[in-house]
Amino acid sequence: MFTPTVIGQKYRHFGALLLVAVLAPHPAFATLGEPETSVASDAAEFKASVKSMEQANYRVHQIQLPSGTVLREFAAPDGIVFAVAWNGPSMPDLRQTLGAYFNAFAAAAKAPHGGHHMLQVQQDQFVMQSSGHMRAFTGRAYLPQALPAGVAPDELH
Amino acid sequence: MDKFKRALACGIALLIGITTGSCGGGSPPGTSTTTTTTTTTVTPTSNVVAVTVDGGPSSNAVNTLYTTVTVCMPGSTTECQTIDNIQVDTGSFGLRVLASVLTLSLPVEQLSGGNALVECTQFVDGYSWGPVSTADIQVSGESASSLPVQVIGSSNFATVPSTCSSTGPAEDTVAQFGANGILGIGVFAQDCGPGCVGSGSPGYYYSCSQTACSPTAASLASQVQNPVPLFATDNNGTILMLPNVPADGAATLAGSLIFGIDTESNNASGTQTVLTLDESGFFTTSYNGTALSTSFVDSGTNGIFFNDSSITACSSSDFSGFYCPANTLNLSATLTGVNNVSATVDFSVANAETLATDNPTFTALPSLGGTYTSSTTTFDWGLPFYYGRRVATAIQGYTTSVATGPYVAF
Repeated sequence: MFTPTVIGQKYRHFGALLLVAVLAPHPAFATLGEPETSVASDAAEFKASVKSMEQANYRVHQIQLPSGTVLREFAAPDGIVFAVAWNGPSMPDLRQTLGAYFNAFAAAAKAPHGGHHMLQVQQDQFVMQSSGHMRAFTGRAYLPQALPAGVAPDELH
Repeated sequence: MDKFKRALACGIALLIGITTGSCGGGSPPGTSTTTTTTTTTVTPTSNVVAVTVDGGPSSNAVNTLYTTVTVCMPGSTTECQTIDNIQVDTGSFGLRVLASVLTLSLPVEQLSGGNALVECTQFVDGYSWGPVSTADIQVSGESASSLPVQVIGSSNFATVPSTCSSTGPAEDTVAQFGANGILGIGVFAQDCGPGCVGSGSPGYYYSCSQTACSPTAASLASQVQNPVPLFATDNNGTILMLPNVPADGAATLAGSLIFGIDTESNNASGTQTVLTLDESGFFTTSYNGTALSTSFVDSGTNGIFFNDSSITACSSSDFSGFYCPANTLNLSATLTGVNNVSATVDFSVANAETLATDNPTFTALPSLGGTYTSSTTTFDWGLPFYYGRRVATAIQGYTTSVATGPYVAF
């Protein structure tokens, strides 16, 4: 059911895309709630390898970051990223990855929660779970109201 | 650790009709009770340091363990500072102290070329930015010389690189951090380890000039160190002993942190269950028929966090992420190490909101539980796991009479 294709190499020589990525203020991967179009150019900038896998109701871009952390972005048929997940030795760039939802994460981090190794956000529009310790982090975030039909939250990891 | 405390503080405030500045993290830093001591000699008398569960520096913590550490200028036995409210954390590695409570000007680690080594410590709820500095430290009778420690929130390195600040909100003050510092005594000897030796890519370490910082590799010796392996003899791990706690909780707890395993008469292994851990420090918890392979024991988490969709989650936003069952539930799970040794552990989950409101002054709550997602394989055994137990944490590569670390035993 998975059809992996490596697309990082394919885009790496596209000078225009690379230039845009280099000029971006932050390491830019596709962002929760936004179109998936930047994945390829971002992969080129960071020499990250990307595997894209087609599922029945969505597409997963699995990005191997130079930090060793693996970031997965789930895009709906309309191209909007509706979930992200990560695991590895470092936290990903959550400001970029969560986009407009970073502030909700930051607010939850200052509100009651389990501590420096356990954080959850449970809102109508935004759900996030993040846990782990130095050397081994795991987490995910998704937009409950943007899940494609037939997609269960448990699939998103 | 830092944060359910605020749920309690906020819940209590609502209950008794007062407002506090601590709801949502806006509380001012707790008054530091640090003192500068002048001592002529440091006499090792013991491998045991007192630990307490209490409200911490902002008087709003629950299930959070604190101790006291003495920090000295390298090579000095007179220029020392004893700092209390240092959180004891088996889920991190290394000593970190908030700059706002530190009265010593510890020397910053210099890289070749004269740049300073500065760290972006990553937690799941934020980052802590500050220089790696060198200190001699004492905890009870144990000491470590020239220990790389992190000074969080130093005004000398006020500009945080965007690659660090993009991982979360800042935790650079006592109020944000929930402690005057943190003593990370988990299973690893360095915070990052081999992953940061050849590359700056993990984003833990930065080389900073007067004007700019860039990611840098850091040798194992230059990384922030778990101090335990640097102790003279009691250096293969630790044992945490906390008393049993009544189901409803307790106002405070007093326990012991013992250094070394099978190195002294007071830290023998005995006949406990030894669960060896994988290279990330994880073991497997089987709960409700599901094997959760990235489970961990962590004195730095304030509850037992796991997925069980049949247990009612709290509806109040002040208790978001915690369980609120109508009646206290008696549950059990089986923990299995990489060595295939298993132990069944009983635990309870009570209504978090009721716990907070029935006994608003209690800071030790053994049946505090929290939700987690079934999409991952994590079962987080926080501080309540330690209540009524003697839990050994053996450091990776270090041997005791029963096994080689990393392991936990109880």
